[in-house]
Parts: sequence; structure tokens; C-alpha cells
Amino acid sequence: MALAARELLTASGLDRAAFEEFLIHEARLLDERRFRDWMELFADDGTYWVPATPDQNSPFEEASLFYDDRELMKTRIERLEHPRIHVQTPPSRTAHIVGNLVVEETDEAKGEYVVGSTFIMVEYRDDAQRLFAGRQRHRLRRHGDTFRIVQKRVDLINCDGAFEAMAVPI
Amino acid sequence: MRNGHADDIATLVEPGRVHRRVYTDPDLFELEMERIFGRAWLYVGHSSQVKEPGDYITTDLGRQPVIMVRHRDGSIKVLLNRCSHRGAKVVNDRKGHAQRLTCCYHGWSFDTDGKLATVPVPEGCGAGFDRDALGLARAPRVGVYRGFVFASLADKGPSFEDHIGPMQGNIDDLVDRAPDGELALDAGMHRYVYNGNWKLQVENVLDSYHVPFGHASTVNKQGVQFARREGDQKGATVVEAEKKQTAASWKDRKSFTVGNGHGWTSNTTLDDGKRSSPAFDEYKRVLAEKVGAERAAEILTPRLHNSLIYPNMSIMGLNIHVRVIKPIAVDRTEVNIFPIRLVGAPAAMNFGNIRLLNVTHSAASFVQTDDLESFVRAQKGLQSRMSDWVDISRGLGAEEPDRATNATRGLATHEMVVRAQYKAWVGYMREAA
Repeated sequence: MALAARELLTASGLDRAAFEEFLIHEARLLDERRFRDWMELFADDGTYWVPATPDQNSPFEEASLFYDDRELMKTRIERLEHPRIHVQTPPSRTAHIVGNLVVEETDEAKGEYVVGSTFIMVEYRDDAQRLFAGRQRHRLRRHGDTFRIVQKRVDLINCDGAFEAMAVPI
Repeated sequence: MRNGHADDIATLVEPGRVHRRVYTDPDLFELEMERIFGRAWLYVGHSSQVKEPGDYITTDLGRQPVIMVRHRDGSIKVLLNRCSHRGAKVVNDRKGHAQRLTCCYHGWSFDTDGKLATVPVPEGCGAGFDRDALGLARAPRVGVYRGFVFASLADKGPSFEDHIGPMQGNIDDLVDRAPDGELALDAGMHRYVYNGNWKLQVENVLDSYHVPFGHASTVNKQGVQFARREGDQKGATVVEAEKKQTAASWKDRKSFTVGNGHGWTSNTTLDDGKRSSPAFDEYKRVLAEKVGAERAAEILTPRLHNSLIYPNMSIMGLNIHVRVIKPIAVDRTEVNIFPIRLVGAPAAMNFGNIRLLNVTHSAASFVQTDDLESFVRAQKGLQSRMSDWVDISRGLGAEEPDRATNATRGLATHEMVVRAQYKAWVGYMREAA
């Protein structure tokens, strides 16, 4: 699978490093709380999905932790910028690490690629530190010499656990 | 608080204030587990979660782990999830299906009505081995109203009808919105936890006072919240944008109490008639087809915003869901939120409701997260020994009878509903179980 993908990528002139660079950039925007810039990484039809059960099939038929289209993302970010967002007083500090990257699908005709990776996010806020970890899948669409996110799906290993308030995207 | 004498309990609740110990005292929490959660009618689950014989879910009533299971005869049983042999929790998943419930430890297995079915190596059982006495314990009383299953862990006390009767109309209000007259709680659940007492969440569900400030970050510059219902173009007006004050429509909202700690708030601020989307319009058409145009119009006139069935269950009529508040410790609470599917409504309408609930009540939502912050900060502040009382006096003496609903009415920005909850709390707490 990985080998086949690499061959395809070589054919299209894209290598793994381009995807890796993009995911690192995305994680960095989140860690720097540049949420508007982060939102701009998404295509107009892009969605951000964090399911609430493992292997969840649909964001419509079941509850999710997050399922934002661009409009909801905008509302979420406006709230994150609001001076009276109590759950971000003080704000969260996060550190993401993204690795184990595999290009899972390529569709040259559409210029779309699915990239799977593993992430860890450490969050610190108000004297408490906690850990989020899981797999993520980015469906990316070629956009000039970079990409736009068609969907970012984050599968937390504890997605069906009970969470204390989560204010920032993972 | 060492012995829970009625006189001690009574000193904790005054007409317009409660002592901070009701939120912070571990001994009082133990007493609540015994005197409230050990005997009140508690919501267990919904019949749609156990459709077929052998279907089960597991949950907790107070700290008692239970299994709600559909038996062969179609009845729903509420069994204690504790093996009658050596005490292990028998069912360890949140939902599933089984012909028999089998303990992992020594393999004792139980029928879906709790009766002991088989015991491995039965020749080891002595002459006095009483199979009939060794079933899974059952909740002594179970009551079902339109699919909502409640149980009491006490064999005596107010009847199910006495307890739930005054709130049946609120359940009807929701169930009648389904064109097929039934609900399905089959769209997963949201789970959140916080370091605070369970009553902080219970008090919050009917609190309209906190919204303009507590949820300020969800209100745009025009003073309007984001749309919270499928088909709404915008949400409710919460703040008068120019004056930055709570909107008059918000101040006029009403709340109601009907005894037993129950209550609800009316839904007076949402622009009805402005609600439209292909899915919602189709839903209106289907509903009118099923129940007639007149009844459909009645059902669609928003009346109830949020209902509380004391002590720990709420039904929200705006972004529809069932909420169950689970005390874990005096300063730790889990809340489960179940999206509701209106059976017979267009799939797209139900999808819309499920999606909107993510942004209002998931652990990562726009609304619930600020409430959680308030609960956590309340628990921290209430540690202070320099100030012992919590003020719940807004609107004290301003309550009035509401003949239409046979309830007591007040402004939703008052604290009448919280006082009603503490009246019920004292009622449970001052009597030994």
C-alpha cells in the first residue's frame, strides 16, 4: 500500500515531504492560535470532523464532538476571539506533534489525496494539563502549489470517553 | 453533617439561600446517594434503545450500576449490574444484545429478567443452594411513559404517576412532534464531565438568567445567538445590541414549577413562522398529513424551552435532546446527552438536529463549554469558608399561580425553579430511607 502510493506520487511529482510540510504547518497554526489562518486552509466545501465513536460512519446520523463546515468554523472562531469566552480565560496552550504519515489514496484526476497520520496534542490550561492522541485523515485538494483541506477527520483514541470542556480544535 | 438529622438538613436551606455545604460536603453527598438517588424515580433510558428482546444498555442510577434490558415477553427490566455470586459487574459494554447475561469471573449466567440460568460445575453447589434467590437484583419499581423508562430503587414511596404525572405534558410536547408519535434515541451520545457538584448542572438547565452574560461569546454584535434549530435562519435575540442589555424578550421569558422539584421554562423568544428549510418545510407537511393541519400548528407552536424532571433528567425542546446528570463524587459529575430522532420526520431534518446538537451540547460545543467553566469555578469558589451562603433569592415572593398549566409561574430570569429544587431536596434529605 505504502509502496504503491509512493510510486503514484513520484509519477505526479509530489513526494511525501510536501504533505508532511503541510500537516506540520497546519498543526503550527493551531498551536499559535492563528485560527483564522487555520480556517483558510480549508476548501470552501471543507469540513472538520471529530467523531464521538470509533469507526463512526456518518456525521449526520450520530453525535460528533465536532462537525464543522466553513460557516460553523467561522462561528467557532469568532467565539474563540470573543473577550468573554469564559472557557478560554485563561486560554489553552497546545503543542501538537504529527507523525507516521502515510499517503493512503491519490486521485490525480481530481487532484485529491488522502493522508493518514498519527498525532499527539498536549493541552495546558488553568493549572491542568491533558493529552489528546489519535489518528487523523486529511483529504487534501491541490490548490496551486499547496493544498486545501476537503476534510480533516480526527479519530481520538478516547473519542467515546467523557471529556471536560474542549474549546480549541484538535 | 454526620448523621443527617432532619433538623441539620433544614438549617442548610433557607427561603432565599442555601448553605455552601450542599455542594461541598462529602457526607452530604453520601446522604444524597442514599436518600435521593436511592429512592427517587430516576430516568434509566428510552425504550428505543432496547427494541428487541435481548437488547440492553448499561448506566448508573446514582452509583448503582444497572442494566436496562428487553425481556422475551416484551417488558423492560432494570437489573442491578452486579453478579449475585462474587459481585463482579456482569455486563461491561454500554449497549449490546445477548440471550443471557454472563459474568466474566466464574461464568454464572442470567436470563434477561435477572433469573439465575446456569452455574458452571453445579455439583459444587451445596444442598441449600437457592437458585431462585440468586438472580440479579431488580429495581423494585419501574415505570414507563411514552418510551421513557424510570426506576426507583426503593420499594415504597410516591407512585410513578404521582412523581411524573405533572411532567407528562412536557414529555407529550416532545413526543407529539414526531409524525409517527414516537422518538428514537439511536443517534449516539455526548458525554462530558466536570469537577463540580451535580446540582450545579441541574440548577443550570432552567436558568435563563445566565445566558446573556454566561454565553456572551455565542451572541453576535446584533445581540442574536447563532441558529440552534433545524430550519432557523438565526437564533434568539438575547441582548439589545445598542444598549448592550439583556433583551426585553429574554427578560419576559417565564418559568414554571409543579412540585417534586420539576419545572420548565417557556420558549417565548424564537421567531416562529420564520423557520424554513427544505427539510423543515417537508417535516411540517408530513406532520400535518399525519395529525391534521390544526394539530400540527399547535404542536409546532413553541411552548417549552427546557424541562427538568427532578432530580437529574432534562428534556430540551429547542435543540432537542435528553440529558442525564450523573453524580460521581461531591465535586465530580458526568452528563450524558442523547440526540433525539423524531420518527417519521424527514431524515434531513433529523440530521440537521443531530448536527446542531454538536455545536450546542457536545464537550466541544459553543454553549455547554462556558457552562462547564462556570460550574468548575463555582465549585472552586464554594471552597471559601469566609462566606457560607449561596444566594437564590431572585424573584422571591413574586411567584404566581398559572391556571392554564396548574403550575406556579415566575420570570425565567428569577430563581424560583432553583428554590423549588431545594424544597424537593429537603423533602428527600430530611427523611431517613
